Amino acid sequence: MNRLIRSRWQRWINRRIPRSDVHLLTQKNLFILPTAAGSVFGMLLLIMLLTGINYQNSLIYLITFLLGAVFVGAMHQTHRNLSGLQLTLVQAGEGFAGDDIQFRLRAAAGKDDAIAITLSEDDTWVRLGHVPAGQSVDVALPVASVFRGYLRPDSIRIETRFPFGLLKAWSWMRPVSAAVVFPRPIAAPDVVSTVDDGDQTASSRSPEGNDHAELRPWREGDMSQRVMWKRFARSGQMVVADWEADKGSPHWLDFNAFSGTDHELRLSYLSWLVIERSKAGTRFGLNLPGQVIEPDAGSTHANRCLRALAVWGEEKPRDATATAHGSRKGTDNLKANTVVSGART
Amino acid sequence: MRFSRRSHAEPEKHSDNLPSRALLWLIASFGLLLTPQTDRLPVWLILVCIVLAGWRWLAQQGRVRLPGRLLRTGIMLALIAVYLVQVRGSFTVDTAASFFVLTVGLKWLETRTARDFYVLFYILVYLATVNFLFHQEIHWALVNVGAIALLLIGLQVLNAPELPGGIKAGWRRLGVMLLKVLPIVVLLFVFFPRMEPLWSVPLVSGQARSGISDTMRPGDISSLAQSSERAFRVTFGGPMPEHRDRYWRGLILDTLDKGTWRQSGYEPYRRPGRVNVDGGVGELQPREYDVLMEPTDQRWAFALENSLAVSDNVVKEEDDLFRFRRPADSAVRYRLALGDSAGQVSQSLKANEARRYLQLPASGNPRARALAEELRQSSDDMGVVRTLLNRFREQPYFYTLRPPRMPNDGIDSLLFDEMRGFCAHYAGAATFVLRSAGIPARVVVGYQGGESGAGNEYLVIRQYDAHAWVEAWIEGRGWIRIDPTAAIAPSRIESGLREAVAEEGSFLENSWASAQRYGNVTAIRWVSQQLDRINYQWQRWVVGYQGQSQLDLMSRLPGGFGMKELGYLTAGIVGVGLLVAGLISALQIRRGARRDPYGRVLAAWYQLCDRAGVPVRSGETPTALASRLAGAEPGVADSARLFARMVNSHYYKAPSRAGEGAQNSDDELKRLRRLLSTMKRQLRRAGKQQPGTSGFNAHSGKHSD
Repeated sequence: MNRLIRSRWQRWINRRIPRSDVHLLTQKNLFILPTAAGSVFGMLLLIMLLTGINYQNSLIYLITFLLGAVFVGAMHQTHRNLSGLQLTLVQAGEGFAGDDIQFRLRAAAGKDDAIAITLSEDDTWVRLGHVPAGQSVDVALPVASVFRGYLRPDSIRIETRFPFGLLKAWSWMRPVSAAVVFPRPIAAPDVVSTVDDGDQTASSRSPEGNDHAELRPWREGDMSQRVMWKRFARSGQMVVADWEADKGSPHWLDFNAFSGTDHELRLSYLSWLVIERSKAGTRFGLNLPGQVIEPDAGSTHANRCLRALAVWGEEKPRDATATAHGSRKGTDNLKANTVVSGART
Repeated sequence: MRFSRRSHAEPEKHSDNLPSRALLWLIASFGLLLTPQTDRLPVWLILVCIVLAGWRWLAQQGRVRLPGRLLRTGIMLALIAVYLVQVRGSFTVDTAASFFVLTVGLKWLETRTARDFYVLFYILVYLATVNFLFHQEIHWALVNVGAIALLLIGLQVLNAPELPGGIKAGWRRLGVMLLKVLPIVVLLFVFFPRMEPLWSVPLVSGQARSGISDTMRPGDISSLAQSSERAFRVTFGGPMPEHRDRYWRGLILDTLDKGTWRQSGYEPYRRPGRVNVDGGVGELQPREYDVLMEPTDQRWAFALENSLAVSDNVVKEEDDLFRFRRPADSAVRYRLALGDSAGQVSQSLKANEARRYLQLPASGNPRARALAEELRQSSDDMGVVRTLLNRFREQPYFYTLRPPRMPNDGIDSLLFDEMRGFCAHYAGAATFVLRSAGIPARVVVGYQGGESGAGNEYLVIRQYDAHAWVEAWIEGRGWIRIDPTAAIAPSRIESGLREAVAEEGSFLENSWASAQRYGNVTAIRWVSQQLDRINYQWQRWVVGYQGQSQLDLMSRLPGGFGMKELGYLTAGIVGVGLLVAGLISALQIRRGARRDPYGRVLAAWYQLCDRAGVPVRSGETPTALASRLAGAEPGVADSARLFARMVNSHYYKAPSRAGEGAQNSDDELKRLRRLLSTMKRQLRRAGKQQPGTSGFNAHSGKHSD
């Protein structure tokens, strides 16, 4: 029953607040309720009223009404604090799985000051402080990531309790853009870097000199050198040979090198290797099933490789209503369970 | 200042350290709230509170540590033990309030988190409420409201430690908020139905208050004469009686016992009734007068001779005395009327009454008894009275606030040796002589005189107007008033104590801070009168606005309001108030939206795109939309792109200076609007050329401009 209500509520919210990277807070999407302190305050007012009635004390009536009216006034103040504020997702950050990924947000106040604003996602939060009317403030909200891939929080909560903390006004921002979470680097087994260290021409090596070749159909992204052109001429089928020997190349970081290991673990190894190579400043290329990045050096290249590792096999979240991606709220799907056990060691 | 943190708790609850400034406001408020209590609380409790709050403050500064759990419990138990010893089991509202103050003090040692801060906030607000039980004067009301304002500032600081604009902005925000809600508060105050108390609540504090008491030792009243505290205030419906006729009778002392006059027997016990502080309602009739009495914790009410009860919270009892239905534990208003002075002569004194009013100690004061014997022989009852008064008038008796001590046979030494005394001395002595002469007599205690308040609108009777005089029973005439003081110091009766002791210079000699002491200085007198007038009106109309006065006020409204209607009205006020506030804020928001003309132009464009079959997607930039529109309707491609570029340059350009920016943006707006209408025209043309291909066509009929 509870769950039903919650899902109904969630659906209603989602209808009310469509996914967008720009979120303008208006009466339509702002919610306001008393806090726990506010509820106790209400009870206090009731007790004060009782005291006033029992002692027939006009001044107690007066002070009770005054505080009650202040409560209502605070409601407007709290509401106005957020109303008119525009929240923009400036940049969804990058990072390694398990780290906090920074979402850079810009809050631009409307015609009223926005005071004492807190942004939160799940259990991380950041205090935005004060945004004067007509100005804007940038803030980075850390979002916990669990596994690699696209990370998109279901909702970022923006809340204020100013002025008295008796009421809280809040809204949710449901961003469209997703951050990219790189696979958590895990030290790769030594075999990779030691095998065939002397061979400097791996990239241009001809297929003929290899004995252990795995043949598979051509996929988009496969390099043309690897296509078995002879076979193509014979049968008209594009067949690609994957050579075991490739993994021995120091230039190529190969997904297929770690046969028998879990895919996610392989990505973690590769992630570690990319970092290592990048630190050493050597050239390297990345070979993923379906995607090959030619050897290069430099931080831009490393970043490109990491991104490729991060989103390998992942669908970019585009739909406007889909649920969270990658954040802790999404951990109930199957993939998460297997990956977390593998990646967190 | 900005920081982020990860926690599993709610963000606000997590802050371990309270902002010092917030705490300071709370402590300041506590100090302010204690001031109305200082006269009531034991000194040790105030000291304890100061020490505990100081401890908390020093701990905040990092100079000392807050006590651990063990020490805290120890302190708590010790203080509660001291309190229990002090109270000795007497449980009244007064002691409960003291205990409440003690708990507030103890709570200081336990304020670590924001939650504790809120707990302190609640109990301090309630402390202000409790203060109102004991003090209702306007300045104390202001102190309490001010303390609550300090609390609200403290809450603001707690919720926004970097309070933008500083404390001044906080005050301004609070002030504006209070001003906005003031009309609702006033309406609620006027119309909220004043119910009967839900259960009966005694408020007797058990604390001695200054005021006359039900025993009279020579010297009691002269100490009262050093107090300028207000006893009560009176408004007359008709002309004010002369000073010499203003004898406010309070109670009758009929038993002399070891030099002390007291009431014979205790006041009969009565169950405390409903609190009823309403005086009569409606306009004062010419012979009526309203008394607003300060709390005395006693039942007795003060009245002029021959008065009748008008309001139903006082009852006339035997001996022409008035009593409240319940002790006056807060300021009480009651209404009386002057009756006819003639007519009600009772025929004779009953035997038990005669015995009561002739009671004397078996021995003592032989010379006074001899004097009575002598007077008795020479004339009748009336003659005795006259001769006695003449004796006071002719012989060198002095009226003084510094009477000598007369330990043995006080009446004898007053009458024959010292010949210096205060009204209480002379009243006691005169009663003694009359009784010795066989004339039933009694001491009456109350007030005499009173000073006009500002503008002669009302009369203020202060403690130094306390007076004692004599009533004697004369066969055929009933009880007559005999005032020996009038014979000795006529100025006391004609114009008050100040004049009577002017030569002696003893008027309020111990209370140098009292404004009344400097009553001869015109400016001080004027200021103190004006202040008193404000307070009087405050007490009559605000503090005294209770059930009866409310119903009275309501009955003057058309339609005749009852309790039920008042309830509906209150609910209506709250509802309408909320509605109006909501409407205003909605209007403000609407106006705010209208104030952004770019937003409106943009919205119009979105509408246009929608009609053209290119609905805007959420989060889409104007440029992206323009290119989509261009794809769907090539005819408007150029205008749409230009439009999008201009919108972009407006929203993303660097903020320009205010003056020149306004002119620029006006021009830009004009161009934008022109572009918009161009696009509309182009779209319409496109729709006509290829009917049915564009979604725009379907709607073009409705769209005429």
